[in-house]
Amino acid sequence: MLTKVVAKPAVPFGGKYRIIDFPLSNCANSGIDVVGVLTQYQPLELNRYIGSGQPWGLDLLEGGVFVLPPYMKAKSGEWYRGTANAIYQNVSFIEQYDPDYVLILSGDHIYKMDYNKMLAAHMDSQADITIAVRPVPWEVAPSFGIMNVDEENTIVEFEEKPKNPKSNLASMGVYIFTWSVLRQYLTKDAANAASKNDFGKNIIPSMLEDKRRLKAYAFQGYWKDVGTIASLWEANMDLLKIPPEFNLSDSRWPVYARSPVLPPHYIGDEAAVEGSMVAEGCEVNGSVKNSVLFYGVEIAKGAVVEDSVIMPYARVEAGAVIRRAIVAENCVIGENCQVGAADGEIALVGQDTDLPAGFVVGAGEQIDAQEVAKREADAK
Amino acid sequence: MKSVMGIIYTNKDDLSLRELTSQRSVAALPLAGRYRVVDFILSSMVNSGVRNVGVIMQRNYRSLMDHLGSGKEWDLHTRNNGLFLLPPFVTQENNGEYLGVLDALRANFDYLRRSGQELVILTNSNMVFNINYEPMIRQHEESDADITLLYAKVRPNMELSSAGKHTHAFLQMDEAGRVTDMEVNPNAASYDTLYMNVMLVKRTLLMHLVDGAAAHGSHDINRELLQPAIKAGSLKVYGYEFKGYYRRIETIKSYFRCNMDLLDYNVRRELFKTNPVYTKTRNDVPAIYRDGNSVTNSLVADGCVIEGTVENSVLFRGVHIGRGAVVKNAIIMQDSEIEDSVEVENVIFDKNVTIRAHGRLIGQVQYPIVIGKNVTL
Repeated sequence: MLTKVVAKPAVPFGGKYRIIDFPLSNCANSGIDVVGVLTQYQPLELNRYIGSGQPWGLDLLEGGVFVLPPYMKAKSGEWYRGTANAIYQNVSFIEQYDPDYVLILSGDHIYKMDYNKMLAAHMDSQADITIAVRPVPWEVAPSFGIMNVDEENTIVEFEEKPKNPKSNLASMGVYIFTWSVLRQYLTKDAANAASKNDFGKNIIPSMLEDKRRLKAYAFQGYWKDVGTIASLWEANMDLLKIPPEFNLSDSRWPVYARSPVLPPHYIGDEAAVEGSMVAEGCEVNGSVKNSVLFYGVEIAKGAVVEDSVIMPYARVEAGAVIRRAIVAENCVIGENCQVGAADGEIALVGQDTDLPAGFVVGAGEQIDAQEVAKREADAK
Repeated sequence: MKSVMGIIYTNKDDLSLRELTSQRSVAALPLAGRYRVVDFILSSMVNSGVRNVGVIMQRNYRSLMDHLGSGKEWDLHTRNNGLFLLPPFVTQENNGEYLGVLDALRANFDYLRRSGQELVILTNSNMVFNINYEPMIRQHEESDADITLLYAKVRPNMELSSAGKHTHAFLQMDEAGRVTDMEVNPNAASYDTLYMNVMLVKRTLLMHLVDGAAAHGSHDINRELLQPAIKAGSLKVYGYEFKGYYRRIETIKSYFRCNMDLLDYNVRRELFKTNPVYTKTRNDVPAIYRDGNSVTNSLVADGCVIEGTVENSVLFRGVHIGRGAVVKNAIIMQDSEIEDSVEVENVIFDKNVTIRAHGRLIGQVQYPIVIGKNVTL
C-alpha cells in the first residue's frame, strides 16, 4: 500500500498535527500495515517526523512505514517525474510484499476515511481500479478532476478541470488498484516517452481507452484539499465551528501525531481566549479569538490574535495585531506589528521570519525573511 | 565521565496523601497537568546520560508499572541496559516487605551486581525537581568522595511535614564540602541544609555497604549507614548543593502547593525549559475554548474543553468545564467532568470525577477537599 506525497505533507495542521497524520492515521485505523511515503521534497524533515512510525502504531516487525525518496540505481538515477513514475520507480518495494491491491493516496488532504470499506467495494465489483469521489458544488466543479459515471457507478469518462462539467463527482486522489493491472500499465507508461507519467493525465485515460473496469466509490464525509494558503486557513477554521465541521476528537477514528515534549499550556491573568484551540506548551497573555495556536506559541500581554493560525513555536510580542493570517513555525512577530486585516485575503508570514517592531503585512500579502530584509533595506 | 546507573526507591511515604495514594504510590501521582511525579526523577537521570534505571516497587505498583511500561517514552527501551521494574522479590529470606532502602537493595542485589556502571544515583521518589547530574558527578570524581549527598537550602515555603514518619535529614559541611554531621528527624534542625535523599556512590561500594548492613540487620540508610559513617569519618561523604526548584510531596498541602507553584512562570521555566520532562503521551486534541469561557492564571492540558470560568487552577488532560461553571484554586485530574453551573474552590479531584450540574464544593486553602477516582457527585 502506498501513499504518494506531492505537496508539503509535513505542514502543521490543527494545533498539533501535520497533514501527513491524516492519511497515515487513516491507514493505521484501516489496518493497513505496509505504508510507503513517496517524496522528493525535504525527505529529511518528513523522515524525522515519521521516524519508526511508532505514533501511528506502524513500528512493526514485518512491514511498517517507509519514506521513499528517489535514489540512484545501478545504471542511473532520476527524480520522480510524475505521480505514476514515482510508483514505477518503487515497483520493487511493492513487490517485496506481494500485494493483491495497492492503495494510492495524496499527502495533502484532510479527511477521515475507512479504506477497508472502499477495498471491499473494489473486491466486490472486481474492478481494475476504484477511485474515491465526492460530490462538490456545481460552481466549483470546473476546478476538480471530474468523473462521469453510469448508473452502476462505472466510470465512463474522466475530465480534468472541465469548463462545462457533466457531473459534480470530484476525484479525491484516492485510488485502489488491482496490483497486477497497475504494474502492467506502469510498465507500458514508462516505455512511452511522450507520457507525463501522471495518474490523472495518462494512466487513468489509457485504462478508460482499453475499456478496463473503472469504478467510482462515493465518499460522504469531510474532505479538504489544503494545497493553498486560503484552503489551509479555512480547514483550520472548520475545526473551531460548533459543532466542528471536522471533528478531531472522535475516539472511534483517532488521528495520531508525534507529540512534542512540552508541559500543558498556560493562560495568564490578563489573557482572554475565545472560540479557539490551544495546544501544549503555549504561554498566552494576550487576547486570542477564533484562532488555532499550535504547541509552543507565546502570545505576549496586549497582543491580539483573531481568525488566525499560529504555527509551532511562533512568538507574538506586545501590541502586535494579527487578523486573518497564517504565521508559520518559529516566527517572531515584533512589538506593534500588524499582520493581515479584519477582512480581505489571508496574510502569510513564512517559516523562521522575524518581523521587526512596527512592521506591517497587509491583507493577502505573503512575506518571508528575505522579503523583510529587502523592505528594511529599501526603507533606509 | 564515569558511567552511571540510577535506582529509584518508590513507596515509602505515601500514607499522608489520603485518597490520592490509596491506589497508587507517590511516584505515580499525577502532577502538573500531564505528568506523574516519577517523570521528573526519571527524566533528570536520562537527561544526564543515565541509561540504566531500576525502579524499586513495593505496594500499589500497578499504576506505576502501567505508566512506565517499556520505558520507551524516556528512551530507556534499549537493547542493553534500559528500564528495570523491580517489584517485591519474595524469597525465603525476604517476605516482600521492605523495611528500608537497604532491605530493598539487598533483595535486588543481583540487579545491582549485574549492572555494568561504575556509579549509582540512588533516589527517593516523593519529590519534584529537575536537575542535570553531570556537575555533581564531576564534583564526586574531583573530590574523590565515597558518597556525595544532594542537598537544598531550606526555604520558608518548603512546608516540610512535621509528621514523624517522614525522613528529614539535615547536613553540616566543612569549607571543603565534606559532610561533618547529619541530623535525622530533629524537632528543630541545627542546619538549614536539607538532604534531598539523592546520593551518588560507587556501585561496588554500595554493594559492599548493602551486604554489611544486611549482615548487621540494619534497614534505615540515613540513621544506620550514613550517620555512623559520617560520625566516625569512615567514609568520605561530600555534599552537593542543588539550587533550583525543589518540593517534597509529603502531604495533601505540599501536593497542592506543588501544582500551584507551576502557575509561576519562573518555576515552569526551570522545570520544563532547560531539560525536557518526558512522560507517557496520550492521543488528545489541543484544548478547546468555547465562547463565554473565562480562564486566568491556569495551566491547561490537551483534550480539555472549557466553556466556564477557571481561575488559578491546573486542568489535566481531557477535563470538561461546563457552561457557567466556576472553578477556582482547583487541581482537576484527567477526564473529569465539571458540568454546567457547578461551583468549586480549593479542591483536588482525582481522575474521572464527575460533578453534576449546579453542584457546589468549597474547600479551605489550608485543607483542600480531595475527591477520589471515579466518584460522581
